[in-house]
Amino acid sequence: MEKIIETIDLNYSYRAGTSEEVRALYDINISVLPGEMLAITGQNGSGKSTLARHFNGLLTPSAGDVIVKGLSTRNKENIKEIRKVVGMVFQNPDNQLISSIVEEDIAFGPENLGLPQSEIRERVNWALHTLNLEKLRYEPPNNLSAGQKQQVAIAGVLAMKPECMVLDEPTAHLDPRGRREVLESSVRLNKEEGITIVLLTHYMNEVIHCDRMVIMDNGRLEMQGTPREIFLNSKEVKKMGLDLPVVTHIAAGLNRKGFNVAPDLIHTEELIDNLCRLK
Amino acid sequence: MELTKNITLGVYLPGTSIIHHLDPRTKIIAAMVLIVLLLFSRSYTTYSLIFLFTAIIVLFSGIPPGYVVRGLKPMLPVLVIMWIFQLFLFKTPDTTILFEWWILEATEAGLHMANLITLRVLFLFTVTTLLTLTTSVVNLTDGLESLLKPLRMIGLPSQELVMTLVIALRFVLILAEELEKIVKAQMARGVAFDQGNFIQKTKKLFPVFLPLFIGAFKRAEELIVAMESRSYTGGKGRTKMKTLQMSRADLAAAVVIVTYSIILIYVIVTVEPVI
Repeated sequence: MEKIIETIDLNYSYRAGTSEEVRALYDINISVLPGEMLAITGQNGSGKSTLARHFNGLLTPSAGDVIVKGLSTRNKENIKEIRKVVGMVFQNPDNQLISSIVEEDIAFGPENLGLPQSEIRERVNWALHTLNLEKLRYEPPNNLSAGQKQQVAIAGVLAMKPECMVLDEPTAHLDPRGRREVLESSVRLNKEEGITIVLLTHYMNEVIHCDRMVIMDNGRLEMQGTPREIFLNSKEVKKMGLDLPVVTHIAAGLNRKGFNVAPDLIHTEELIDNLCRLK
Repeated sequence: MELTKNITLGVYLPGTSIIHHLDPRTKIIAAMVLIVLLLFSRSYTTYSLIFLFTAIIVLFSGIPPGYVVRGLKPMLPVLVIMWIFQLFLFKTPDTTILFEWWILEATEAGLHMANLITLRVLFLFTVTTLLTLTTSVVNLTDGLESLLKPLRMIGLPSQELVMTLVIALRFVLILAEELEKIVKAQMARGVAFDQGNFIQKTKKLFPVFLPLFIGAFKRAEELIVAMESRSYTGGKGRTKMKTLQMSRADLAAAVVIVTYSIILIYVIVTVEPVI
C-alpha cells in the first residue's frame, strides 16, 4: 500500500547552525497509511507539533527526508502539490480564520487553488453540509463559540479536498462540548469521507478512537501500535507523562484485584460487557 | 467597548433597501464623485443642493435619519473648534469686520469660510458614513479589490492590500477583546487606570499595550502559518467564489449620479462663490 506520508530518519533542530540550536526531533521514522486515523501524543514539548509541521512542508528537515505521496518536501516546487494532499488545522481557531463571514472563510483555500467559481461554490456547500454548518453560513466568526470556530476551520481545510488532514491539538482551546463535537467530526470524516486523519492530542479519550497511535517524548518516537496494545503497557505510558484512558484504568485495576475483566479495554461499551459477564 | 458605541463611521446597518442592494463599486464611485464635488462647492446654493441629494439618499436607504444625525454628534467639538478658528483667522483685504475681541477680529470673509469648511467636513463625513452604513465589509472589500485591479499594471499589489484590509477588519474585534482582558487582569492586580495625573495615567498604559502588541505578533505568526497551509501564496493565481455583478439598479444609480453631477457642476460654475 502506498503511504501518504513517510518520514525517513527525520531530524530537526530549531535555529540550526547557531549557538542557540535546539534539537527538536531525533531520527523519526513514521508512516501515515491511506484511510487510517493516527494519533500522535506526547507531553508538551515532546516534539509532536514540530513533527506535524513537517507533514505539509511548513518545516523542512535538518537531516533526513519527508515524502508525501512520493514527493519530497525539500523540493520547493512540490510544496503546492503537497499542501493539496495534506491539509492542516491548528490549535487556536481564532488565529486561522481569515474572513469576517464563515462562508467566505471556507472559500479561502479553494480560491487559493485557483479553482473555477462554480467549483468553489460547490465545495463550500459540500464542506458546510458535511460538517452540519449550513446554519452558520453567513455568520461572522466572532459570533461563534470556540468549538464552532474550530469546525469552520476544519471545513475550510475540507473544502480543499485533502487526502489527509493533520489536526494539531484542535481541541486544546475548547470546552468539553466543543471537544466532543470536533472529535466526532474528525471520526466522521475518517469513516465516511475516507479522509486520512492525523490527530495530535494529549487527551487519551480521543486517542481511543484512532486506529493507531504513536507516543513521542523528548523529540523521540518512543512507542507505536494500536491504542489497545500500548495502553496495556501502562507503566511505560505513564513514564512518558501521559495518562491512561479512564476505561483502561478501571479495567486494569479490576484485573489486578483478581476480577475476570480483560486488562486491555479501551471503550466504555467493552467495559460494560465485561462487567455484565462477571455475575 | 463604550468607545465604539457612538461612532457610526464604519458600522454596517443591514437592510434590504435599493441602496443596500447596489453593487459596492457603484456606491464607492458615487461616494468619490460626491466628495470631489464637495471640494469644489463654494456657495450656499450648492450646499443646499448637496443637502437635498444626501437627504434623498438617506430616504431611499431606509436608515432612520436620526441615526445618521446621531452619528455626527461625536464630530461636533471638532467642527465647533474648526469653525471658531476659521472665523478669526481667515481674512481677505477688502472684507468688513463683524466684531473685534482682544487681538482677534472676526470678518465677514472669515464667517463665510468657517461656514463652508464646516459644511464640507460635515457632508464628507455623512457621505462616507452612508457608504459604510449600507455596504457590508465583505462587499466593500470586494468592491475595492475590483476597482483597484487595473492599478496592478503599474505595480500596485491591490489584491494583497485588500487581503490585509480583510484580515485587519477581522482582527479588530479580537484585539479589542484582548485589550479588555489585559486591562481587567491589571485592574484585578490593583492598577487604578482612572487615578493620577496625565503622565501617571499614560505610564499605566505601557503594561497594557506591551502584552497587546506581543500577543498581536504571535497571532500574526500563527495566521501566516495557517494561511500558508491553505496554499496562500499572494494574489497571483487566486480565483474568487463571488464575483460582483452590476444590475439594472446600478445603471439607474449611475444615471442619477451623472445627472446630479451635471446640475451641480453647472451651479458651481455659474453661481458666484461666497468667498
